Amino acid sequence: MWRWATLSPALVLLLALGLLPVLNLVVLGFFDVRWADGRASWSFVGTRHYAALAGDALFGASIANTMLFALGAVAGQMLLGFALALLCSKVTRGRVFWRALFILPVLMPGIVIGAMWKLLLNPDFGAIGQLFELVGLQPVDWLGNARIALFSVVLVDVWHWTPFCFLLFLAGLESLPRDVYEAATVDGADAWQELWHITLPLMWPTIVVTFVFRLVLAFKVFDEVYLLTGGGPGTATEVVSFTIYQRFFTEDRAGYGAAMAVAVIFLIFLMLAAAAAARRRVQAA
Amino acid sequence: MASNNVPLGRRMVLGAGGVLAAGLTRAAFAQGGPQARVAPITIVINQSPWLDSFRRSVEQYERETDAKVDLDVQPFAGSLEKQRNSVRASRGTADLLVMNSGWFAEMYFGGFVEPIHAIEPGFRLDPEVYTLGDTIYFDADTRTMTPRGRLMALPIAPIVPLTYYRADLYREAGIEGAPLTFAQLEANARRLHRPPRMVGIVQRGARGPHTVAFDFYPYLYGHGGSIFRNQAENDYTVTLNAAEGRTALDYYIRLARECGHPRTAALDQAEVIQNVVTGRAAHMLTVVAAWSQMDDRDRSAVVDKIEFAPTPALPGRPTAPGLGHFVGGVARNIPDDRKRATVQFLAWFQTKDAQIALARHGGMPVHAAAYRDPIAEDRRYRWMKPLAESLRHAVNIYQFPEASEVIAVLELGLNRAIAGEITSVVALNDMARQIHTVMAARGYRTGQAEPLR
Repeated sequence: MWRWATLSPALVLLLALGLLPVLNLVVLGFFDVRWADGRASWSFVGTRHYAALAGDALFGASIANTMLFALGAVAGQMLLGFALALLCSKVTRGRVFWRALFILPVLMPGIVIGAMWKLLLNPDFGAIGQLFELVGLQPVDWLGNARIALFSVVLVDVWHWTPFCFLLFLAGLESLPRDVYEAATVDGADAWQELWHITLPLMWPTIVVTFVFRLVLAFKVFDEVYLLTGGGPGTATEVVSFTIYQRFFTEDRAGYGAAMAVAVIFLIFLMLAAAAAARRRVQAA
Repeated sequence: MASNNVPLGRRMVLGAGGVLAAGLTRAAFAQGGPQARVAPITIVINQSPWLDSFRRSVEQYERETDAKVDLDVQPFAGSLEKQRNSVRASRGTADLLVMNSGWFAEMYFGGFVEPIHAIEPGFRLDPEVYTLGDTIYFDADTRTMTPRGRLMALPIAPIVPLTYYRADLYREAGIEGAPLTFAQLEANARRLHRPPRMVGIVQRGARGPHTVAFDFYPYLYGHGGSIFRNQAENDYTVTLNAAEGRTALDYYIRLARECGHPRTAALDQAEVIQNVVTGRAAHMLTVVAAWSQMDDRDRSAVVDKIEFAPTPALPGRPTAPGLGHFVGGVARNIPDDRKRATVQFLAWFQTKDAQIALARHGGMPVHAAAYRDPIAEDRRYRWMKPLAESLRHAVNIYQFPEASEVIAVLELGLNRAIAGEITSVVALNDMARQIHTVMAARGYRTGQAEPLR
């Protein structure tokens, strides 16, 4: 009893800060908020906002784009991050320098990254376009061409967040037991066999945690898209956080925006549940 | 520490004492003297090309009156959020709300702005101040913006688009006169189109908070089109997808594809201006506020080469630029002394002298007399006459609080059409349907035109 009593202030604080805003969001999703005479009036609309989500073309496009974005970006970051971590774990000279260099992008705010890459990718004035021209190639409209705009945003996100995966993987690799590798070397295992039969299985928990972590974060991408493309051209790079921002803030449709946010939270829960189930299956196997 | 080595002489002590005494006297006077009646005020304003001129006017006001004004400068979208947060609180932090055409209706309808005469019954609006489509008035009973309503705000910046064109290239090509009709603009843009080094025209086709839609208004209204049939009469029948709307959008897209920038669908205002000041575009239709960048020797490769004209229209029709202006209204949820102080600032700001000074600071005056002043003859201010002409015909696009929803519909639909994702007909029909849904859901008297085929 005493234990609960001492824990209760922290629990109350946690509930107040964590649960109440979400509850407020859920409740708001069933209301329409209008302002008149300086006061807000809430009118209950039931599930109308949730029903409207199905017909919201922008929301549909944003969900599809966000899925593509999250899977593409996270896959790229995981592969690159793992490769860099493997390389860095074997480096003996200048370890601190290489690590500092590799984690540099993740230290930058998303807004700075968006502005920086927008300048770099600008085909008229950007450095990348000028490099293309130097070698006799036509500058590519990275962000203005609907067919490659999402791919370009994914590339920027990979550049931004690969260091995050790199750091987690490097920490995981450095904590692996060395005796297993020594035994494998004695048994004549080559580098590929070590990677496939020792490193990857031992690293699996780290890989899953990194994947889930990054997937959730990638699903919330906002600042880079906001600055790089504003969701365009057309709906090519519309992502769900951006749609929520527009509906909730720009259009001041708090109820509808809240319903959209709740739907996205539900989707993320589904993804987490799927990831947890997959992890259990792999562990059981 | 270095400061420990500074000798503290008698002269320094006396000097410091003098400064302290002067400060205390001033503070005591400020507390008990006439200045005490003027409360310090905070103005929420967005970061824009005309901000510097406004800031200098505020400094001038502070010097002349000893009043204290804080500028709370925000990005465009952030300014709206800041104002919303302030006016919806029980007690606001923002006194003067500098509201854009995209959201002042929201503030009027929401009851967040105090009518000027409710604060100072004796306030007199200078008759030569532009009323900018009568958007400074609001009639709560009829939900319209006409002089029959109450005075809610004063104009701060009369932002409308103008045609910017390269006069030097016109001379070289033997083209005479400004492009005042759509046919002239297209012919001249085609003639000067030399890609990739020079594009005939650069347009602002990206999706944004109020980007491609604002760029499209002069084309739409200049062709005789409109979004609604008659807002002043509360007739919100959607007319966007009438024949005029289609002609306007087809024209816009044709310019973009045949003599425009290859990335039109991705260009925002900054990039459009960048193309002109770097000498890569022969024309642009953009807000007058960008004029100062054209002749800035540190930023521009086209100093003294740009001329200005009202946006084009069909022959026999007047120019019809969409208002993207800013008005200043007093927040309702602030103490009375701050309300009075805010009105005092507005009363000063609307005077002819303050407005001429504003023009000299690089701003756009809202007082007609400023456009008759000798300053308007100065070559540096060659944009003033086209602006004065444009303001006579400027169109107030939105008179209702759901404007941001309609703008979002237009931004997406227009951008998709310009990017080639959908045809102009599909875009116009789709946008008209969505706008009708928005207006019908809010109970406006609305309807739809026959869909285009």
